[in-house]
This record gives sequence, C-alpha cells and structure tokens, in this order.
Amino acid sequence: MINKSLAERRSDKELECEINGQPMSLEVPPTRRLLAILRDDLQLTGTKVSCEIGRCGACMVLVDGRPVNSCLTMAYQCQGKKITTIEGIGQDEVDPIQQCFLEEGGYQCGYCTPGMIVSVKALLDDNRDPGIEDIEEALSGNLCRCTGYGGIVRSVHKAVQLRRNSS
Amino acid sequence: MASGYEDKIMSPSVWHPRDTTEAWTFKKLLDSDAIYVAGGTLLRTQWESGLAAVPKHLIDLSSIPGLTGIEKKEDSLAIGALTTLGQCRKDPDVLQHSPLLVEAVRSIAASSVRNLATIGGNIVSRVGDSLPVFIVCQAEFEWNTGLSPMTEDASEWVERLQVQLPKASHLLTRVHLPLFRETDLVPKRFGAFHKVGRREAFTPSLVTVAINGGMKPDGKIADIRIAVGGGQTIPHRLVAVEKILKGQIPNRELLGEAYHAVMNGYRPKSDPFATDDYRKKTAANLIITEIWKTYSEWADGGREPDGAY
Ligand SMILES: Cc1cc2nc3c(=O)[nH]c(=O)nc-3n(C[C@H](O)[C@H](O)[C@H](O)COP(=O)(O)OP(=O)(O)OC[C@H]3O[C@@H](n4cnc5c(N)ncnc54)[C@H](O)[C@@H]3O)c2cc1C
Ligand code: FES
Ligand code: FES
Repeated sequence: MINKSLAERRSDKELECEINGQPMSLEVPPTRRLLAILRDDLQLTGTKVSCEIGRCGACMVLVDGRPVNSCLTMAYQCQGKKITTIEGIGQDEVDPIQQCFLEEGGYQCGYCTPGMIVSVKALLDDNRDPGIEDIEEALSGNLCRCTGYGGIVRSVHKAVQLRRNSS
Repeated sequence: MASGYEDKIMSPSVWHPRDTTEAWTFKKLLDSDAIYVAGGTLLRTQWESGLAAVPKHLIDLSSIPGLTGIEKKEDSLAIGALTTLGQCRKDPDVLQHSPLLVEAVRSIAASSVRNLATIGGNIVSRVGDSLPVFIVCQAEFEWNTGLSPMTEDASEWVERLQVQLPKASHLLTRVHLPLFRETDLVPKRFGAFHKVGRREAFTPSLVTVAINGGMKPDGKIADIRIAVGGGQTIPHRLVAVEKILKGQIPNRELLGEAYHAVMNGYRPKSDPFATDDYRKKTAANLIITEIWKTYSEWADGGREPDGAY
C-alpha cells in the first residue's frame, strides 16, 4: 500500500514552465510529450513533427539552453524549465542564424529548418568558434530529406563568421 | 500519435521519490506495473515501436538528489547513474582521464538525445555502447538493492546477464571508473573503442569493440582486456584472446592465433542485416589491427624486430 507520505510524491497535472520567455501553467498529464504540448495545445507549429522517435531532429527545442528532441521529452521533465522553440528565436527580428540560412540557401522545402536553426543556436551559444567536427556533431541529430547539407554547413560557417566579427 | 485522446487513455502516473530507498519502495509496492525512468529515451523508443507496453506507473529517478555529476577521486572517477551522456561527453575530468569513455559516449545517438539519456540507462539497457568500455576498464557498478548497497564488477555483472535478467528493483546509483596510469613497469597504456554500423549514431551498431591494455618496456603486453558487443548482443569479455596476448610480444603467429580466438569466442546475435560470421570477422579485424597498430607505433616506424611484417 502506498502510504500518505509516499502518495505526496505523485506528479500532479500542473506543468509550470517558461515557454519563449512567458511563464506558463498548463494542465496536462505528466507523460504528455512536449511536442504535443507545443504543437497541439499551444499551436506553436514552428516545431515540426516527423519520426517521433528522436531520430530526425525536426522537433528540436531548447530546454534550459540545451537542444533536446521534444518528441522524447515528457511534460514532467519540463517542470520549472525554460523552453525555447523556433518561435522564441528571432522573436522581434530575424535571428542572424536565420539570416545566414536565407542568404546561403540553407534550406529547400524548409521542413527541417526550424530544428536545424535550434541546433545551431545551441551550438553557437555554447561554442563561439566551432570547427567542422563540432558542427557535424551538433547537427548529427538533424536530418534533411532534401539533403541540402552543403548549403546548411555554408550557412553555419557564415553564422560563425558573423559572431566572430561581432565579438 | 501523441493526441490528447491517447494521453487520456494511457497516461501513467509518475512518482518522484526523494531518495533511492523511496524509489525502491515504489518499485516493490507497484511491482511489474511500474518501471524506473531515467532519461526515458530508450523506453520511449520501446513504447513507440510496440516492443514494450507503457506501464501504469513511472518512477522518475531524476527527482533523486545526488545521483548526477562526476567526481574525480585519487584513482577513479565516480559517475552518478543519472548523469546524462551529454554531461559525460563534456566533463573536463572525463575528457582528460578517460578518452575511451568519451569516444563511446560520442558514438551514442546525437547530442540532443544525449542531453536526456543517462549513463545509468545506457548500462541497464544491457546493450548500451558504453558498456564495453566499463567492462575493459574494470568499472564497478554500485546498486541499491533495497537491503544494503551492493558493488559489482562490470564484467561479472554482464556475465550474469548472459544467463539471468537483472533484478528489476535493483537501482544503479553510481559507476566507479578506475583510471589507468603509465608507470615504469608499464610505460605505455593503449586503448581503443570502435563502433561499426550503417550510420554513425542512429542505428544499433553491428559490432562494438573496446580494448584497454598496457605494454611493458620490452614490448610485451603487460595486461589487456577486450570486450565485444553490438546490436542486441550483451557485451562480453574475450578472456581466451586476452590470455593468448598477455605476456607476449605481438607477432604474426600470435596475432593469427588471437584472430581465431576472437572468431571462436565472440558470441554475436545475428539478424537479417548481418550474419554472426560477418560480425565475428569484423570484430577480429578491428581487434587485431588495433593491437598491431599499437605495437608498431611502440616499435618505432611500424617495423617488427623479427621482420615478420
Ligand atoms: C534516436 C536514438 C538513438 C539511440 N542511439 C543509441 C546508440 O547509438 N547507442 C546506445 O547505446 N543507445 C542508443 N539509444 C538508446 C538510449 O538512448 C541509450 O541507451 C540511453 O543511454 C538510455 O538512457 P535513458 O536515461 O534514456 O534510459 P531510460 O530509457 O530511462 O531507461 C532505460 C532502461 O534502464 C532502466 N534504468 C534507467 N536508469 C536506471 C537506474 N539508474 N537503475 C536501474 N534501472 C535503470 C529503465 O527502467 C529502463 O529499463 C538511442 C536512443 C534513441 C532514441
Ligand atoms: S520528430 Fe522528434 S526527432 Fe523526429
Ligand atoms: S530542406 Fe527539406 S528537409 Fe531539409
């Protein structure tokens, strides 16, 4: 039997977190996937959905600044966390990373692009001067079905250069 | 897939224990209706693919303080079981003292998955790519078994897994990873980690190999441990191969003998994509090449003293 003291350790359905800078209090089951919360509950459809098993990176978001696959993340794992989606990047104006993707042809159909941008943002926030190995490792979880990897890598290099020049 | 409707019909309860004893108590009380969850990345894959049913209760291990982080001790690293693979990958002590573990962790999934996935989950999965490294480095696993803490050598643990499933209530709390230093008696340490698969980070590997050894001043192998796994194969040591190599200077005959011992000793699980013979040959080639490379480097210029190569 679960006694009273143990019973208190059960998750309730209130998820308190911050999404794109806004404090949120959401009534969701603790195992609801972050992907569903973002897309279905909050209509933040910039986060894309594809494989749903952590393999394609279309659903990438930042949780406390680190990239994670929102299809693998459950609501209770977001308790008290700061979540940033593609809508939160370049909220007021186009982010320089986005601008580089635009200028260097870093996308074709664009489906993988939000996930790519989120991963690149995490990389550049963590490492101001990444080399090609760092870039490949950081983007190894983002698949592009249009296989425009040349343009994507070019865009990242440009974003790195831009940061270097500005610092 | 993740519709609100589905959430309502199958949403399990999540319990957040305050310590390992409480977690163990939940597991004992809820029994087979409950499962420990660390990062949940492997479980999610199993649930989505239908390999395992979503249980009624999840016991969240991440709520337990003190199970994350890496501490450098005099001769070892103590790694909390809830430490993410991402933390391991970037930890300055791991980077400095355990290149083998760095290599293994780097080969597991992508960095976004590694930000959720834990070292404990990788080990308890029984087929995680970090396991061969823990086996060859003589790591010790610390468990909460409900009664008293229990510590077990990694290779003994995997040996036991070949015949019996791990106890579902046993909770891995910490990994003690010994550090190997070069000394006057063993002036060269060598090691390697290889994962061979169709894609670097996403499909289960066909073969995973880890080697950890030391060489004496005269080129004889002072000590060596070799472990092989891959795919759904629970990794295991190649004790017969280790015995052949230990105390010897590698040469053509010795390596030929070792090659055959790998072919005989490795017990891979085959699947429709690769036969066990293919996996054995791959493992044997990787291991023999690695030992030859190490010896050649040591022998300066890649030549063997007796001129065999
Ligand atoms: C896209 C993708 C790619 C992957 N690629 C790889 C790969 O290349 N190599 C690889 O090895 N794995 C891979 N995995 C599998 C998995 O991510 C890793 O094995 C990971 O380390 C599991 O950790 P976790 O914390 O997510 O475990 P969970 O999913 O939380 O748990 C896994 C199992 O371990 C048990 N468990 C967890 N922690 C403990 C503990 N402390 N004590 C007792 N039991 C515990 C759970 O009950 C469960 O049975 C991949 C997964 C995904 C989604
Ligand atoms: S939808 Fe999440 S990784 Fe593919
Ligand atoms: S641009 Fe089409 S999937 Fe990447």
